[in-house]
Amino acid sequence: MNLILIIMLAILLIPLYEAWQDDNIWQKVLAFSSIASKTSIMILIVSILRDDWMIGVVGVIILSVGNAALMLLAHIIKRLNDL
Amino acid sequence: MNDSYIYVIAALLPLTSLMLVLQSNPYHALVVRGIVGAVAALVYAVLGAADVALTEALVGTMLAIMLYAVAVRSSLVMRLGVVAESEAVVKAEGDRDLQDILDHLRSIVAKRHLKLELVSYPNEKALQQALIAKEIHATCLKSEIESQPYQTTTRVRHLYDIFQQELTLPVTGLAYLSAED
Repeated sequence: MNLILIIMLAILLIPLYEAWQDDNIWQKVLAFSSIASKTSIMILIVSILRDDWMIGVVGVIILSVGNAALMLLAHIIKRLNDL
Repeated sequence: MNDSYIYVIAALLPLTSLMLVLQSNPYHALVVRGIVGAVAALVYAVLGAADVALTEALVGTMLAIMLYAVAVRSSLVMRLGVVAESEAVVKAEGDRDLQDILDHLRSIVAKRHLKLELVSYPNEKALQQALIAKEIHATCLKSEIESQPYQTTTRVRHLYDIFQQELTLPVTGLAYLSAED
């Protein structure tokens, strides 16, 4: 079962590398959204492995709230370009 | 707690923090701060602190990014005052000189991650008063000299030093207005 998490960690490194080397702000925002979804799915997997409902609920909340924060951030960055 | 993946997940936190510290552009740092928040929430949840992970996601990622975005957006702006009629002329693409000056100023301040914001005033007197009242950082006015049709005046010492080095257009002069407190 640990193997699943190790593979997910390796996949998580791909958008992390993208966020580090790409200078376009929108590519960074895309990498951020990818990482936010991946980490919350990993929290859900861990909660299932340990049969811990408290972590599971937190994972669901982070999964939904992360998208809201991302949309607000994208709006602010979009309006910067209009200045 | 002898799961080996915990060590790998915990190693992500210093890795992303290092990424955040090495960013030079404030807007890029803002996005990377969100990534650090997401990874930190993962680490806290895996280590068993579900409440800390929830707080990190709600406050650390969402609220901190919003406040930081507003702060960066309002402070990293150079406000340039112009007379209203010349701004209308620029929009109509009539005046090449002023357009060139504005493009050149934009490229200079963009190197320092600043944005140029045009503020228009009805006449030259209101423009001068706004500069003294610290509403704007610099003004760009028509001057009487034939070879230099425009005069750029700034009240910020640091901006003046930068422009003296890099504002090489012949169509505008440069002046520094020392603020008397």
